[in-house]
Amino acid sequence: MTTPAMTRDRTGALCTIGPAAVFMVGIVGIPLLYIFYVSFNGLHFSFYAYVTLLSSRLFFQSLWSTFETSILATVLSVLLGYPVAIHLARQSPRRRALMMILVLMPFWTSILVKSYAFTIILGRRGLINSALSYLVGHKVALPLLFNKFAVVIGMANYLVPFVIFPVLASLLAIDPALGRAATLMGAHPLRVFRQITLPLSLPGVIAGASSTFIISLGFFVVPALLGGRHDVMLANLVDFYTRETLDWSAAAAIGMCLLAIIGLCGVMAATLRKVRRA
Amino acid sequence: MSHSRAVSHKVRRRNFCLGGASALAAPFISRRSLARSGGELVFVSWGGSYHNAVRKGLVEPFMAETGIHVTMVDTPDLAKVKAQILSGNVEWDIFDSPGPLAATGSREGYWEALDTTHFPLSELSVQPTHDLAPFCLTAGGIAYDPREFPDGRHPRTFAEYFDTKRFPGLRTLRNRVSETLEVALLADGVAPDQLYPLDVERGFRMLDTIKPSIIKWVEATTQTITMLEAGEADFSYSYASRVQAAQASGGVSIDFSFAQTLNFLEYLSILKGAPHRDEAMQFVAFALRADRQAATMDMLVNRPVNEKAMGMLSERVQRWMPDINPGRNALVNDAWWAQNYSGLERRFKEWTLS
Repeated sequence: MTTPAMTRDRTGALCTIGPAAVFMVGIVGIPLLYIFYVSFNGLHFSFYAYVTLLSSRLFFQSLWSTFETSILATVLSVLLGYPVAIHLARQSPRRRALMMILVLMPFWTSILVKSYAFTIILGRRGLINSALSYLVGHKVALPLLFNKFAVVIGMANYLVPFVIFPVLASLLAIDPALGRAATLMGAHPLRVFRQITLPLSLPGVIAGASSTFIISLGFFVVPALLGGRHDVMLANLVDFYTRETLDWSAAAAIGMCLLAIIGLCGVMAATLRKVRRA
Repeated sequence: MSHSRAVSHKVRRRNFCLGGASALAAPFISRRSLARSGGELVFVSWGGSYHNAVRKGLVEPFMAETGIHVTMVDTPDLAKVKAQILSGNVEWDIFDSPGPLAATGSREGYWEALDTTHFPLSELSVQPTHDLAPFCLTAGGIAYDPREFPDGRHPRTFAEYFDTKRFPGLRTLRNRVSETLEVALLADGVAPDQLYPLDVERGFRMLDTIKPSIIKWVEATTQTITMLEAGEADFSYSYASRVQAAQASGGVSIDFSFAQTLNFLEYLSILKGAPHRDEAMQFVAFALRADRQAATMDMLVNRPVNEKAMGMLSERVQRWMPDINPGRNALVNDAWWAQNYSGLERRFKEWTLS
């Protein structure tokens, strides 16, 4: 039975999320279906793209390297971004707006320019190695560039804002009275953080971490410029098949595999949460 | 891509008027057909300084001479060509691309057969194939810092580049199998005119020997230069035009060895079903004319394929032209790569990972 309230609800929903839903179906759903179709070689149905991938060492190594790099970059971004968000949350709105511009700075610099800057910082004769050499008194040349370390640093440099903004939103939504009440009851600031701030900001952390992770999976330029020969990412492979060999089935199959893995991770996370709640 | 940052250089009037022999189709006919098909001739080429050189040396004089309007679009992407041809919605006319892309497109049947009637064929050092017109030639070779490694202390040939005992130091190579395999085979003493078909096993064995000395398998061409500038590499596999541009920008101690180079071609091709096919043919013929080649390459610092243009280049640029006579230098065979690229590239990537 439908009550008038329910009908009103449904009309409201249609008006508010309807346009976005139609848009997303058109712009994401249909192309995704097409990629699925292409991955099976379109009209000439075949599993060859999947067979090729699953028998390719290059694919599995890239897959592993992609996940390893993405997890490391996400962890580092959260560790760096969280304290910044806390600091921002404590500022006056005016100061906060100003500081947010600083947070967004890395976005406005070309990735090529930045990678060159990282060469100057992390290189054999870079700032860090030169400073260490000066302090120690003899030549130091730590291998900081053209390896996973450099890739993770370079990626975090780009990704930190994706953590800061959702975490900041969560922090600002916390009722300040909670913290004040706890302090009045004699709670140590660390305890306030552990029992109030941290748990209440977790949704922001989860949102930030998952978007950071997903963006990381598609990284392409930073690993190519700052990485060593072991740092191949799946995006490089997709590019290789799309633009160099024009084997779009293989490229589409990689996309599908990646989507399946991420979907699986999502389902697992959701189940885990349900189990914990039960 | 090995496209140089050229110093801006005014088109010389003398060149502009020279070489009218390789005539043009009657401009009014073209204009009428252009009006019928609607829109403008679309020329897909590279961005940045390459764009400027081609615009000043080629596109603007072409518009002035024929009255046909040309729109330049940056970055030739073969995937977009495939998409346009598959969807039957071809928007591009002329495609300016290096060997591997051009030859792959050729294998896939993406290009129109060229009408070479108006090409200055007798003046060209490399003849066009049925669907690809060579446009210019780039030289890959060894770049080094002459201040740190004066003559005698830097490798000059590919054999010396692979000789890490005589010339210790970190090196770069490209992160792709084409060029890299050729360099390895030349280093192992294969005669330049007997490179193809490439002895793949021998090439990989040779690459095994240099792997520990390669600090970076370079993805972006700019890094072949910046790695040297920052002192990350002692010697770098780079390109004459890039090194020239770095030198011209000043403040960098860098030079290039012409003792041995691996030369490769840049091509012009016309998309199958191009909306302005006839005007595109006219444009390609124009691009091969000696005066246009000289004016463009004076800015690009690549070697013209029109030999007559060689004499018209300024002195500054002359010294950067690689030798194309059979001898120590080799020319990349793009047709061979079109057949072998995808399999070997996969093997190469797996090899770098191991």
